Amino acid sequence: MRIAVLGAGAVGARTARQLASTDAVESVQVADAIGRRAESVADAIDDRSRVRAVPYDSWADGADVVVLCHPGGDHGALAEGFVQAGVSVVSVSDDVDDVQALLALDGAARRAEVSVVAGAGFAPGLTDVLAAHAAAQFDGVDEVHVAKVGTGGPACARAHHGALAGEATDWRDGVWQHRRAGTGRELCWFPDPVRAQDCYRAAAPDALLLVPAFPGVSRVTARVAANRRDRLTARLPMLRPPHPEGGIGAIRVELRGRRGPVREVVVFGVMDRPAVAAGAVAALAAVEAGAGRLRRAGAAGLAELVEPVPFLAELARRGVKAAVFEGSAPGL
Amino acid sequence: MRFLRRALVALGVTGLIAAVLRLRGTGGVPPQSGGWRELSGPDLR
Repeated sequence: MRIAVLGAGAVGARTARQLASTDAVESVQVADAIGRRAESVADAIDDRSRVRAVPYDSWADGADVVVLCHPGGDHGALAEGFVQAGVSVVSVSDDVDDVQALLALDGAARRAEVSVVAGAGFAPGLTDVLAAHAAAQFDGVDEVHVAKVGTGGPACARAHHGALAGEATDWRDGVWQHRRAGTGRELCWFPDPVRAQDCYRAAAPDALLLVPAFPGVSRVTARVAANRRDRLTARLPMLRPPHPEGGIGAIRVELRGRRGPVREVVVFGVMDRPAVAAGAVAALAAVEAGAGRLRRAGAAGLAELVEPVPFLAELARRGVKAAVFEGSAPGL
Repeated sequence: MRFLRRALVALGVTGLIAAVLRLRGTGGVPPQSGGWRELSGPDLR
């Protein structure tokens, strides 16, 4: 299969590298609004027979699947054109408007028999796969709570900054609830060495992707970790330019549900560099879409579209390893 | 003038209290026992 990647930042570079190491991928074409960034990514992978930088204005020519790794804002509009052209789309955007626009393409994508994978990064993305894996252990899922710490590249850091100043969208008892981001502090326990972090409501699209995947679920929430400076300055412009790439990050997915007559809790997590994990998830989602192994055509998140066990096994083979929390915690 | 000064002081004190309430404290208690185990083998079949 031929795959085109738009965006040669921290996530796009990792996505291209992961695709280049996949036997089923014949060619990877990388493009960026700043052309030399795409060239440096292609040069760094150094597999010229399969990976090449292409011009920005013709970046997706001939591709079977396109992966949108550039900063969010126009992923929905771009994806619409590809759906009409019969090309499957994978988007890593965690922008709420992008995810809503992508999910709105469900009908058109089903008619065109192509897939639009929304939120195929670290969180949302890997969180959705973990939620689907955990759900298999229950007869019914009542609650899903997602938390994330860390950022990938500069675009991700800007999105994190903006998310703390926006409006959080949670699902509670069958209705959407909108609350101020930066509120609702909760201490979340992530895999070592990240451990305990205070997390807050944020303008994150996780609930939009998880609610359709778990019919009957009563609560879905998403939080991001933030320090005092993040919260104090959330409504201001970023005081310092964002770093080229953040350090170690982590995700945590907590499911509460019923197994027989018993109410139980399962907590999964992953610790990794967010851009590295997001690149692996996006690449694998693109390969699944290109191979026709997604559960259905249409637009949805990974919780609805992939078989979680083989997906997590392949991610583990690529070095992105999930963990389960075993023990007692407050409220468990 | 005095009214304006009092209003500014009141606003400043309110803002200070709001900032302290917003920033101090933590959001809960960490787990008392247990830990993370990597998923492998049987967990992924």
